[in-house]
Amino acid sequence: MVEIGRRAALSGLGVAAAALPRVAIGQPARPTLTVAVQKIANTGTLDPLREQSSNASERYFGLIAETVIGRDQQRDLRRVPALATAWRRVDARTVELDLRPDVAMHDGRTMTADDLVWCFGPRLFGGDTPADAQAVGRRYWPSLERVEVVSGGGGGPRTVRFVNRTPDLTMEGRLAAGGSQVFSAAAHQAAGWAAAARKPIGTGPYKVAGWRPDVELMLEAHDGYWGGRPPFAAVRVLEVPEAAARADGLRSGLYGMASDIGPDQIQDIERDRRLVVLGGPVPNHRIVVFDSKHPQLKDPRVRLAMAHAIDGQAIVDGLWAGRTVVPAGLQWDFYGPMKVEGWTVPRFDPARARTLLADAGYKGAPIPYRIRNNYYTAENATAQVLVEMWKQVGINAEIEMKENWSQVLDTSRPRAARDWSNSATFDDPVSSIVNQHGPNGAQQTNGEWTNAEMNRLSPLLEGGEDAGERKRVFARMLEICEREDPAYLVLNQNASFTAVRRDLGWRASPSFFLDLSPKGFAPA
Amino acid sequence: MIRFFALRAGRALLTIGLVVTFAFVVLRLSGDPAMLILNVDAPAEAIAAFRKAWGLDQPVWVQYLEYVRHVAVGDLGQSMRDGRPAAALVWERVPATLQLTIPALLIKVCVGVPAGVYAALHRGSWIDRAVMAAAVAGFTVPSFVLGLVLVLVFAVQLGWLPSGGQDSWLSPVLPVITLGVGGAAILARFTRSAMLEVLGQPYIRTAQAKGVPWAAVVRGHAAPNAAIPTVTIIGFMVGSLLAGAVVVESVFSWPGVGRLLVVAVSNRDLAVVQTILLLVACTMVTANLVVDLLYGVLDPRLRSAR
Repeated sequence: MVEIGRRAALSGLGVAAAALPRVAIGQPARPTLTVAVQKIANTGTLDPLREQSSNASERYFGLIAETVIGRDQQRDLRRVPALATAWRRVDARTVELDLRPDVAMHDGRTMTADDLVWCFGPRLFGGDTPADAQAVGRRYWPSLERVEVVSGGGGGPRTVRFVNRTPDLTMEGRLAAGGSQVFSAAAHQAAGWAAAARKPIGTGPYKVAGWRPDVELMLEAHDGYWGGRPPFAAVRVLEVPEAAARADGLRSGLYGMASDIGPDQIQDIERDRRLVVLGGPVPNHRIVVFDSKHPQLKDPRVRLAMAHAIDGQAIVDGLWAGRTVVPAGLQWDFYGPMKVEGWTVPRFDPARARTLLADAGYKGAPIPYRIRNNYYTAENATAQVLVEMWKQVGINAEIEMKENWSQVLDTSRPRAARDWSNSATFDDPVSSIVNQHGPNGAQQTNGEWTNAEMNRLSPLLEGGEDAGERKRVFARMLEICEREDPAYLVLNQNASFTAVRRDLGWRASPSFFLDLSPKGFAPA
Repeated sequence: MIRFFALRAGRALLTIGLVVTFAFVVLRLSGDPAMLILNVDAPAEAIAAFRKAWGLDQPVWVQYLEYVRHVAVGDLGQSMRDGRPAAALVWERVPATLQLTIPALLIKVCVGVPAGVYAALHRGSWIDRAVMAAAVAGFTVPSFVLGLVLVLVFAVQLGWLPSGGQDSWLSPVLPVITLGVGGAAILARFTRSAMLEVLGQPYIRTAQAKGVPWAAVVRGHAAPNAAIPTVTIIGFMVGSLLAGAVVVESVFSWPGVGRLLVVAVSNRDLAVVQTILLLVACTMVTANLVVDLLYGVLDPRLRSAR
């Protein structure tokens, strides 16, 4: 029998008394927040299988739809319960999850296991999903066999199993990544893909109230949100392409928040004591990619020399106001046990660079270096710094400004190096080094680089069952791609800065996500 | 007269056809819409599927013929970004752009023409020099710089006007002024030059010698003769009503045709780009036609010259 003491009873009464007035007189009115972003969506849709730009949709998409396993957006992006309260490994091919009960979806339905069966079945791989989006689904889940509903119970089936065709230790990470969001199966099937892609029905703290592509996205509070009452009655995401206009709008009080703030704007914005610029490094690294077929880059020593010639810290200090870091190669802290400790990018060593160039017989022939006009933060300035650093060791790199990716990758003229960035979509190296530089990654499918050992190791990292062996494979991949036969060189971890009214008490996430859920305003 | 119209219409159709064909070829050859819309990180399989879905895997000439065939029956195609009809996408942006460009045109004409006339009539005076100095400043300062300065002063510092967007009746004020200033400056300079040229003609001296009041000389002889170059410039400005605010729309986050054009070009969303170009070409050609007719009204000699 449960005994209730006097102290427990009194404290219980106190909690009830504190709660009663809220129930009795209703919740206080909430404001509307206007957020200025550079871009709402590149593709004209709000479907994560079509819209994949890390610096656009990732900012707000988590406000609309969620994954079964979440990430701690207030700390270190580690996995946390979201639409599932718990999960466990059954075997190397199977993950079992307990679904959170009573999760209200934006269409008023309660999320069921059937929503997951549909989302990870016909939605990803068939139905009326366009073929290009299905191809993205297959990249996210290359070997998913089925989703099983395991148990019933008073509130309906609550346990599901994700079963893969092949062993895959990254399944939990994939469940926490983009593309694995859960949508209302009934609403999406009724609307059809095209309509649902314009107004997705998810479970997040805000629901889509209206959308004018390239203009504004209107979100309104989803008061049945399982994670608590959203702090804003509505969030208006406005597309403001010009960085200066976003900052001016914030200063004039037109916006409450402005994302995509450049490092060079921070000091100016923070002169206004009502405003603060928050944010920092995100799971995305700026890299320079090599085309090893270019005559000057055939010898890997030239590519390694290009890496040794770069003082990454000077770039971070000079162009990023010191608010990001030179990372430990193409890996991130949130890889957890898979992170290779002690690994670094090639150190800044001009003497070694010169020796490598001399050994390779490089005589100063031009090396075309393709960039886009500030597509990445401070891209033009970074490129100019790189060219000067390369010049110091005798490398004759020539900037070629291109308008778009087709022109950057064009092979009708000699190509040698280009700018790029790599994201880690989930907490395992498969998400980056394999997905971007492995046999099916963009660098190899674009014909820029290949390595037989890398291609032999990639399936071992994707399907390996031994965690220790997988880590050794990853370490070897880093050696290949960053030392022996450089595929790329890592410059710096990208950082995302958001300027915001200080009185909002908002906390930035260590990712692109603008967390406007109750968690984003909780005390640290 | 019928021959005149037929010639103009034929020339206009040829111009529109050339514009559309040129844009089609340039856009098709300078970027792959599949890669630009889906992003460079997209799987090769996704890019191939997208190309197939939109016929981008066909030779360019096949795509062009297909496009012309559809346009001939009034189908301007769909946006590759979201599948919506291009005509509807463009049409829903037109009112927003006209909300800026028509008041801006009024400012250009109502400020630029009188200022130019006044400066010419007071040639060499401090007023003339002040008007011309303002005109030079007006058309040499780029519109994005002027826009940002106006925002800093009137939105950030004074807080009188919104810095952007389309939320209140005050929202168009700054973009309209930004657009209007440059055009008014150009008109002022052209009008002044035209007036000065006309005022130096013998018939003006003759009219003065005959004792015609100066105001009547200006109104009846100088202004109509000086109007032809000014009308030409105004015609060009009317022709630019739909696509003449690209930069200003970006600076002020104004959801008009100009911003849509920028997004569509950068994504090589061809149906949308072509629809906008068709609309702009039609507007420009119509404006030119009207200007040609006005020439005849202003100067009867030009009527007989045709």
